[in-house]
Amino acid sequence: MSLEFTQHTVPTVPIEAETLSVSSLDGLTAAAAAKLTVVHGNRAAEVGDFFDVAGAPDGEVHISGDLSRVKHVGADMSSGRLVVHGPAGMHLGTRMTGGEIVVEGDASDWVGSEMAGGRIIIRGNAGHLVGSAMRGERVGMRGGEILVFGSAGNEVGAGMRRGLVAVGGDIGDFTGVNMLAGTLVVLGRMGARAGAGMRRGTIVAMHPAELLPTFTYAATYRPVFLRLYLAHLRALGLPISDAHMAGPYRRWCGDAIELNRGEVLLLDTAAGPST
Amino acid sequence: MSDNIRTVPDATCTFCGCVCDDIVLTVDMDSHSITKSQNACVLGKAWFKEHGIEERPRALIGGREASTEEGVEEAAQILANARFPIIYGLSDTTCEAQRVAVAIADMIGGNVDTTTSVCHGPSGIAFQSAGESTASLGEIRNRADLVIFWGGNPAEAHPRLFTRYAVTPKGMYVPNGRKDRTIVLVDVRRTPSTPVADIFLQVKPGSDFEVLWALRALVKGRRIDASIEQRTGVSLAVLQDLVARMKSCRFGVLLFGMGLTMTRGRHFNSGALLALATDLNEFTHFVAAPVRGHGNVTGADNVMSWQTGFPFGVNLSRGYPRFNPGEFTTVDLLSRGEVDAALIIASDPASNFPKPAIEHLKRIPVISLDPKATITGALSRVAFTTATYGINVAGTAYRMDNVPLTLRPAFDSPYPSDEEVLTAIRSRVRELLGGNRLPVGPLPAGKAT
Amino acid sequence: MGSLLRIVNGRVYDPANGIDGEVRDVCIRDGRIVADVPPEARRIDARGMVVMPGGIDIHCHIAGTKVNLARKVQPEDHRHDVHLRTRFTRSGTGGSVPSTFATGYRYAALGYTTAMEAAVTPLGARSTLEELNDTPVLDKGFFVLMGNNVLLFKLLQEGRMEEFRHVLAWWLSVTRAYAPKLVNPGGDEAWKGHRNANITELDARIEPFDLTPRQVIAAFIEAANALGLPHPVHIHCNNLGHSGNFETTLETMRIAEGRRAHITHIQFHSYGSVAGKSRDNPTSRARDIAEFVNTHPNISADVGAVMFGRSTSMTADAPLAYMLRRFGGHKWVNADTEMESGCGIVPFTYQDRIYTNALQWAIGLELFLRSEDPWRMVFSTDHPNGGTFMTYPALIRLLMDKEYRKEQMAHVNQDALDHSGLRECMDREYSLYEIAIITRAGPARLLGLANKGHLGVGADADVTVYEDAADKEAMFAAPRYLVKDGNLVIEDHEFRVDHVGRLLHVEPEFDSSIAQVIEPFFEDYYSIRFANYPVHERYLHQHELVPMARP
Repeated sequence: MSLEFTQHTVPTVPIEAETLSVSSLDGLTAAAAAKLTVVHGNRAAEVGDFFDVAGAPDGEVHISGDLSRVKHVGADMSSGRLVVHGPAGMHLGTRMTGGEIVVEGDASDWVGSEMAGGRIIIRGNAGHLVGSAMRGERVGMRGGEILVFGSAGNEVGAGMRRGLVAVGGDIGDFTGVNMLAGTLVVLGRMGARAGAGMRRGTIVAMHPAELLPTFTYAATYRPVFLRLYLAHLRALGLPISDAHMAGPYRRWCGDAIELNRGEVLLLDTAAGPST
Repeated sequence: MSDNIRTVPDATCTFCGCVCDDIVLTVDMDSHSITKSQNACVLGKAWFKEHGIEERPRALIGGREASTEEGVEEAAQILANARFPIIYGLSDTTCEAQRVAVAIADMIGGNVDTTTSVCHGPSGIAFQSAGESTASLGEIRNRADLVIFWGGNPAEAHPRLFTRYAVTPKGMYVPNGRKDRTIVLVDVRRTPSTPVADIFLQVKPGSDFEVLWALRALVKGRRIDASIEQRTGVSLAVLQDLVARMKSCRFGVLLFGMGLTMTRGRHFNSGALLALATDLNEFTHFVAAPVRGHGNVTGADNVMSWQTGFPFGVNLSRGYPRFNPGEFTTVDLLSRGEVDAALIIASDPASNFPKPAIEHLKRIPVISLDPKATITGALSRVAFTTATYGINVAGTAYRMDNVPLTLRPAFDSPYPSDEEVLTAIRSRVRELLGGNRLPVGPLPAGKAT
Repeated sequence: MGSLLRIVNGRVYDPANGIDGEVRDVCIRDGRIVADVPPEARRIDARGMVVMPGGIDIHCHIAGTKVNLARKVQPEDHRHDVHLRTRFTRSGTGGSVPSTFATGYRYAALGYTTAMEAAVTPLGARSTLEELNDTPVLDKGFFVLMGNNVLLFKLLQEGRMEEFRHVLAWWLSVTRAYAPKLVNPGGDEAWKGHRNANITELDARIEPFDLTPRQVIAAFIEAANALGLPHPVHIHCNNLGHSGNFETTLETMRIAEGRRAHITHIQFHSYGSVAGKSRDNPTSRARDIAEFVNTHPNISADVGAVMFGRSTSMTADAPLAYMLRRFGGHKWVNADTEMESGCGIVPFTYQDRIYTNALQWAIGLELFLRSEDPWRMVFSTDHPNGGTFMTYPALIRLLMDKEYRKEQMAHVNQDALDHSGLRECMDREYSLYEIAIITRAGPARLLGLANKGHLGVGADADVTVYEDAADKEAMFAAPRYLVKDGNLVIEDHEFRVDHVGRLLHVEPEFDSSIAQVIEPFFEDYYSIRFANYPVHERYLHQHELVPMARP
């Protein structure tokens, strides 16, 4: 049986719990895990001050409770499986390089920021800056996959260099802003200014979207690579429809202000595209 | 008026970011009032007129009158015990006081943030992404032949930006003043600033980013479709004309305000404008500058940056500075109900923050420092009455273009300065904690000293 | 403080007093070196250790508007390099532009006790003073930018040399500066006033003035000499970074005609050229530059060596920064200052496999190794332009350890090495005595700081004690003890007490009636009032007025 953390006390102020990461917990007994440090404001505390810990380490960790004020869970994770039963706090899976994190609930801002590998699945909604760079940095996500079944906020995939981000619901503004490469798939409605500043990379959206004046319509087609990606996402549980698979997609090139080697693929619905 | 009159020439007005230093104050020393403020604009005049000496308790603790010393003790206890406090405001006080505020944040391991985060914070973030080409206000006055105001209403918010710095004054290479300049104004509506402009671009609300992006593209020689007019309200022809003027001017300036930073797009709006100014340097000399609101908000940015490395939204909980707008900025910390104490300096967030933030302020112990009675003061556990910077208190303030100036106060105040109160608080907290709180938690990946 | 200290058994390197590794006591009382102290004085046993005066950085960028802009623009530069607070020292961040507290503590942690901020606009002097006041431990001063000053240009073109001298003295005094600085003289007018142009010839006209850079440089050298300033004009020559610029550098040095002049970060000004595919490629002319400096005792220089890794280019040479943007940068900051100067900032990374970067690295080493007078070719990386001050220990090792140098040379772009003369200099190794000269005694003498850079009686008690080690980088990276003004600031590698140093500044004489020349100009062209321009003494805090070099 896995290591199980059950919240008994909700922190009064946020705690920073980068030790709640499978790599950090590797090989620890429940008792040892309970003694790990978490930062509670300006004081050190222990995991056990907030969670009852049971079970034994087997590469899988389950955390239950309201973790909306528990930050940095899964930070720097390199292997193993971590499941959060409840809402998760900021910086979930930040700088992850491997393994899998699943959140049965909503996540906050900065899910998977600066991620390099592994997979994060959010069953509920995510906040802003999913898979993004930190302020001032040019490069964000370097690899890995993030799936959000619900909606997500602004600046998803900002500065993305490689990897895959998929959002089942609606998404905010500036999706894929300053993207360097990588793939972003949005099943819901996209907000404004998607792809602003993108150099390369692919943004796929299943609803019409108004694009920036620096994007140019190129062609309507059925890209083969996209069916592979969508099949992969479907296997992971995202509601990819036959219409999504069939296409066709209208391809827009941009951002002309940058390299113009990026593309936004908009599903060619019967209602027709806008702009 | 009494016979006891003092004149203070070359005084500095700290009402807005123009920080004009040519004010001549006539001070009635007996009644502690400024009866005349020559050269000040209407806002400056009001600022000087309204700041006399009011009869107020030196401190209030839980609504009860107290001495400053008692207030210091209570405040120090709150801050020494707090686990996740916020120190906020700072923009309407001297750099000397700001430095003590940041020192306290470092000592107690808390968050420290300035009004930048609700004002030009997005421009600060944009600056970190895009960089910036800028110039001091005197450069603009002496050289600018094309001045573009974007998303602001200087006639009402920064009157002397027009008259002292950027539109009417003569300059070394602009000998005929206004006649040698082309003034462009871009906004979503007509304002009292509009008549000043030679060219007015009325853009559809929420489309500044698209207009700036189209301008950037045209500057780089890319094609823009005529449908831009339907999207933004500005025709392609007008944009092309503007681009031609920008490329051919000798020294161009973009001055921008809240219309960009506080509308949809925020730091991307500012970033697009900054990038446009940068792009234009392929063709001519072009600069951009944010038009700052409060008198010493630039000073607050500077003090924070040199002491911590970051301009606002800083957290020191773990023993070193971290920067993350949205995580450590005050509106967000309060709205999410995360902080357990607040020290508010020369600011009144309870009067204008979003409702959830104000509700949380009511739930936690708040310490406030202000010359006047404010809504924040009314809900504070400890409210200090302090002297007003620039009027009673000497010190340093930075103009919006980073020029540092020394304040010339008009008359003394019986109340202590922010710096004095904060210094006393710091000393007492140091006693209570035995020095700075030690660092906690694992170090960030990548090491530290 | 009345502290009494006696450092015993250490090998002392005090070149100003001819002491080369002799084991002798160093006695300290009341913040000064004294001949003897009573037996109850605290004893520090420095057996197996090396004792030197505190390090002196003659040229670095650590405080002021430009430096702070460089901090603000790149949070990613410092977010991973944090500086933890202690019970009594402040926290901060590092990277290539550390925050002020981290700057002071880290310099001290390398054994430095004095640093000169290299480029400050007069309009921003207050800002520099505030930041320096938040820079712990170090004594400090700054050079004030004068080489693109419009009023001075006006006076020069009208031949008003006497007034020029008084105005210069006034400017040094009211800004609380240490020395006058010229950066790309004349270049700013071209940049700001002529659509981002630049000046590339010493005899080109500085439009719209009837002046050339040659005339400007000559006038400053003459005036600084006449004023008797302790440190002469500090010159960042025109054409920094351009292929073939060594000619400009030689010409600039010739302008001095026997009078003192200091050429800063001279490595960046030592390039020859060879035709490349699309443009000229730089080569090394370090030999020519070193030879000129060797044979002209009136000329001094600091090397401005390049070290590989992350750095930030920050300079008052605005056209240069714009050019660098093409190579470095995704981010560029430009900030013009009315009537006085410009500035540009570009984050930059030097890489050993890139031809130009490897060449620059080699040229810096060449200049050191070809120098015949270490008193006049002193140590710097133009922090952070060539590399941060955290690279100083590694640079010292490159100078002292030729095997290590050889190993490092194997990693760099070999084509660059072929176009340098570094292989010819491989035999030389700097001794500890020579390191003490280029990092302590030499800078002190060039700066005219009579009480610094040496351990003779009367000197400031700024003393560094290093544990001797074969690995010179490890040795110089972590002093065992640091004494500042007689206070034991670092003991057993740890900070024991916080300390604030002094501002060093000059007040050359001028006729107060010169205000009548300056004030009208202010009223017409500056955007602040003349009365508000001079820096009030409240910004001085602890300070020391350094006397003129001549009575």
